[in-house]
Amino acid sequence: MSDLILRTRNQTVALRLPRRGVQLACALLILCVTLTFASVMTGTYALSLTDTLNTMTGHAPSAMAHTVVFEFRLPRTLCALMAGALLGCSGALLQAMTRNPLADPSLVGVSQGASLAVVISIILLPEMPQTLRPIAAFVGAAVVAALIQTLSQKSTGGNAMRFILSGIGIAALVSAITSALLTYGRIQDSMSALVWLSGSIHSSDWTDVAILALATAAMVVVLPALGRRITALGLGDDMATAVGLNVRGTNLLLTALSVALAATAVSSIGPVGFVGLVAPHLARRLTRSSAGLHLLLTALVGALMVATADLTGRLVVAPLEIPAGLITALIGVPVFLALILRRG
Amino acid sequence: MRVAKSVPFGIAAAALLLAVVTHMAVGARPVSFAEVLRAFTEFDPSVIEHQVVRALRLPRALIAIFAGAALGLAGAVVQGVTRNPLADPGILGLLHGGALAVVIGIGVLGLAEPTWIPAFAAAGALASGVIVWGISRAAPGGATPMTLILSGAAVTAFLAALMMIANLLNETAFQSLRIWLTGTLSGSTLTQFYWALPWGVLGAGLSLMLARQITALAIGDDAALGLGINIAKLRLLGLLAVVLLTGAAIAVAGPLGFVGLVVPHVARMLIGADYRYVVPLSALLGALLLVVADIAARTLLAPTEISTGIILAIIGGPVFVWLVRARL
Repeated sequence: MSDLILRTRNQTVALRLPRRGVQLACALLILCVTLTFASVMTGTYALSLTDTLNTMTGHAPSAMAHTVVFEFRLPRTLCALMAGALLGCSGALLQAMTRNPLADPSLVGVSQGASLAVVISIILLPEMPQTLRPIAAFVGAAVVAALIQTLSQKSTGGNAMRFILSGIGIAALVSAITSALLTYGRIQDSMSALVWLSGSIHSSDWTDVAILALATAAMVVVLPALGRRITALGLGDDMATAVGLNVRGTNLLLTALSVALAATAVSSIGPVGFVGLVAPHLARRLTRSSAGLHLLLTALVGALMVATADLTGRLVVAPLEIPAGLITALIGVPVFLALILRRG
Repeated sequence: MRVAKSVPFGIAAAALLLAVVTHMAVGARPVSFAEVLRAFTEFDPSVIEHQVVRALRLPRALIAIFAGAALGLAGAVVQGVTRNPLADPGILGLLHGGALAVVIGIGVLGLAEPTWIPAFAAAGALASGVIVWGISRAAPGGATPMTLILSGAAVTAFLAALMMIANLLNETAFQSLRIWLTGTLSGSTLTQFYWALPWGVLGAGLSLMLARQITALAIGDDAALGLGINIAKLRLLGLLAVVLLTGAAIAVAGPLGFVGLVVPHVARMLIGADYRYVVPLSALLGALLLVVADIAARTLLAPTEISTGIILAIIGGPVFVWLVRARL
């Protein structure tokens, strides 16, 4: 038997998990932890493994080590991991909802909507506290998502390709408005917005970690419950309705969740693109799994992707930094093209 | 040319003239229309308004007309040759390819002279155009509007990331290029214009020569074959014209998107499907659009200047979405 079966004692609830999927999830989790250590240890001020462990357990060898680990590297790495997980799942939900393997929050304008909202908040409302940024980002992303959804609907019904193309058009419009705002804003506000916009994670602090942790925790609770609905949706609208699924409601729920996840991630690390596109496909390549387990694997792959991109960006041309968003774009585009070529 | 066909040309030319005069009149130092005209009819070097118009505003207006016309022509030819209503040098990745080549030429190879910029821009546009076309040809279903745009968007994203990395690695060298990369007419000089002019003229001549055959191609491959047109050769020459025009436009104004998308549609609405008229009218309308967009860029947030490329995207994005709704 290749499946793990978990049961409660009286057998009212049982959970069947494919063994390979669970093993993979564990392996990815271990990779995440390893990557966290690697990311905390490396940099201009290198730390040995023992020093790192000591610092993390509260016995820092020097005040410098404490500052470097707790003020800079640890929050940054945690942000990268969690934001990656959120972006990956956001993409997976969007792909499930549109039944379109090319959907990605950055390609269909959701990230740009969130960016515009955040840039507006930085430039026009500089007094707004940082904790409200995710909400602003969500509003911006939701407005743009709704706009694209409305525009791609016709009397003949929706069309996945029209959805993507409308997204590209709206994305161009929204990013143009963002650039115009940057020209118009005060120089110091514009600079701070620009740093954020290039999708760099280096300014993350514990406030970002707290916001992302909250969102990740919510995601871990909510998403497993959605597995069945996503599986049913994958059968097609008619079949899904026949097995008792409220298709319209589910679509709305998935869109809202996808937008919320992407917006939270974008609001703290900036618009890092293509993670939502690549992570679900990679996870599917790794193993065949049920929808719930697939979401878990996607989250882990997404986390690894952003954290690796961040670490690479820090190391390749040190002391300069390449923002993680640029690296994910360089990885994401070939994957996107491969998907276009394979699509039947 | 029949009388009915000449009406849109007359209107477009009149509108362009009016826009150009307005373009030279507005700015930090407003100059009256009459004074703008007098700067040309009875030029007086001692009048400061005349100097402003002749030395500062005329070059910019000339460049706007040139780049707009080149992009309008390029858009008309690329839409005709690919038979794709959504095609545009920007959407197909040509603008970013050309811009990246210029960035490499100036920033990495240190070629600061304007002599080489059109050649670099054209070569870059050619390379990215061939890549995008190749990818969409290899996709299942062939080079449909859909696959062309998707691979164009993907290649554009890739090139944009490369450009930003180049930017980060050598900030001082790219300082001057940063605004240019959003598409602007503010830093361009007449020297750049003179060097780009032959490329633009060559491309324009080629486009006008091909216009008749493109009309036949627009009916369908079979019809074009039946009329004795060598389709492969026509596509190749069309690509050449588009690349020459795009390179010339990039060299003077940076990557300006959406002119080539919007303009041919307006031209077709005004004058019908015959490319013998659509192509030259697209040149006029492209110049008009860019001059008007540049007026907006200079005046909307004055004294701050917005990049002309941003204005074009704000106009072009909605038009693109509307086209998607109407055509797909």
